Amino acid sequence: MQCERARELLSPYLDGELSAEERRAAAAHLGECRSCSAQLGDFRRVAQTLAEAGREPAPKALTARVRGNLARAAHAEPTPTTALISKPPRAGASSVRRALLRQAAVIAAACVLSAVATWLATSSLGQQHRLEQDVLAAHVRSLLQDSPIQVASSDAHTVKPWFAGRIDFSPEVKDLASEGFPLVGGRLDYVGGRRVGAVVYKRRLHIVNVLMWPSTSAGDVAPRLITRNGYNLLAWSRGGVDYWAASDLNAGDLAQLQALL
Amino acid sequence: MSSLRQFEPLALPCMEAAFNLAFWLVRSRADAEDIVQEAYLRAFRAFDGFRGDDMRPWLLAIVRNTAYRWLSNRRRSGTVISLEEAFAEGSGQSTDDIASDEPTAEERLIGAAERDYVLRALAELPPAFREVLVLREIEGLAYREIAEVTGAPVGTVMSRLSRGRGELRKVLTRLMGKDEPNAM
Repeated sequence: MQCERARELLSPYLDGELSAEERRAAAAHLGECRSCSAQLGDFRRVAQTLAEAGREPAPKALTARVRGNLARAAHAEPTPTTALISKPPRAGASSVRRALLRQAAVIAAACVLSAVATWLATSSLGQQHRLEQDVLAAHVRSLLQDSPIQVASSDAHTVKPWFAGRIDFSPEVKDLASEGFPLVGGRLDYVGGRRVGAVVYKRRLHIVNVLMWPSTSAGDVAPRLITRNGYNLLAWSRGGVDYWAASDLNAGDLAQLQALL
Repeated sequence: MSSLRQFEPLALPCMEAAFNLAFWLVRSRADAEDIVQEAYLRAFRAFDGFRGDDMRPWLLAIVRNTAYRWLSNRRRSGTVISLEEAFAEGSGQSTDDIASDEPTAEERLIGAAERDYVLRALAELPPAFREVLVLREIEGLAYREIAEVTGAPVGTVMSRLSRGRGELRKVLTRLMGKDEPNAM
């Protein structure tokens, strides 16, 4: 056997990972080649040194920390992994207890926050709350921009086709100028994690945003009024569509518009 | 939670190996502690996917992935830790737990010095060599298990170990300032 080939076998030879045949061949070569057997001796010595002294011992407190993290994780499943990792106190010994307490308080606060956030995010109450927030934000945003609409027309037959292909349903668009709610136009908005249609009406100087999207609940839902930040929000469902009207208009006028739509 | 009762008896005995691998990959005790904690949480969450009764390779693979993620984050954030710092912060071991059988002071000194050189040389190797050497020499894993941890085929593990040992020997020779290639 050539030295070149033998050197490739030294490492698996040392580890006992050679086939019986290769092992015999390598042993025969090592018996007659001093250079290769010296190299094997070096490998063996380094291996022994690493086996004896290479291990970096884990800190004694690590097991307790890991177990604490796991216990918390088992109880609060959706918390992000990094939030559960407890940091070892790195300050001086005198402040260790205070640091631990502070740490515990932070973790407890994080757990509470996470639990509340999870509850809010998953409960229907939270969803409702978020929806109101989104609708209000959409309304206020439309007022902050130069124009609350992307397609300006007082003609329902211009506004309605504009939505085709932009959203996956056909929103209700009516010209209610004769009833005191002239149609201003339409635009797209984003509410409750989906693209929605927004139809804008006017009542005197007040802007009314009527947002709509396909309903997830079966059956119609009677209108209910919500007041947030001084704005009136009126929500109802009809014919498989959820409607949200948002305006600084008084509740009576808003209800009148709802009845007309 | 019942899965915690199943997870801990399998996973906690691997803690020393997990910390050792993490330390040798990131070369910082503090970071290794964080990595082990994160890896154990990840392992616990992935526990449903674990099959078999030897958890060590499976868990070490998670530790390894977590450590590499930390390393790439550290690179991105531009924090560079020098080898010297890593070692100043490094091992908490005392120097006299290596020798055995009543060594003389001189033998002890030589043993400690040699140990120092070997550890330093290992730290200098590229991670691909360092990790297989740690798993083989310190943890005593079989090639098949190392392959499971690193996600590389057994043949690759074998050649990396072979090259890694060769490289380690070269670095050692350089560090110890000897030019005779066969001497250590």
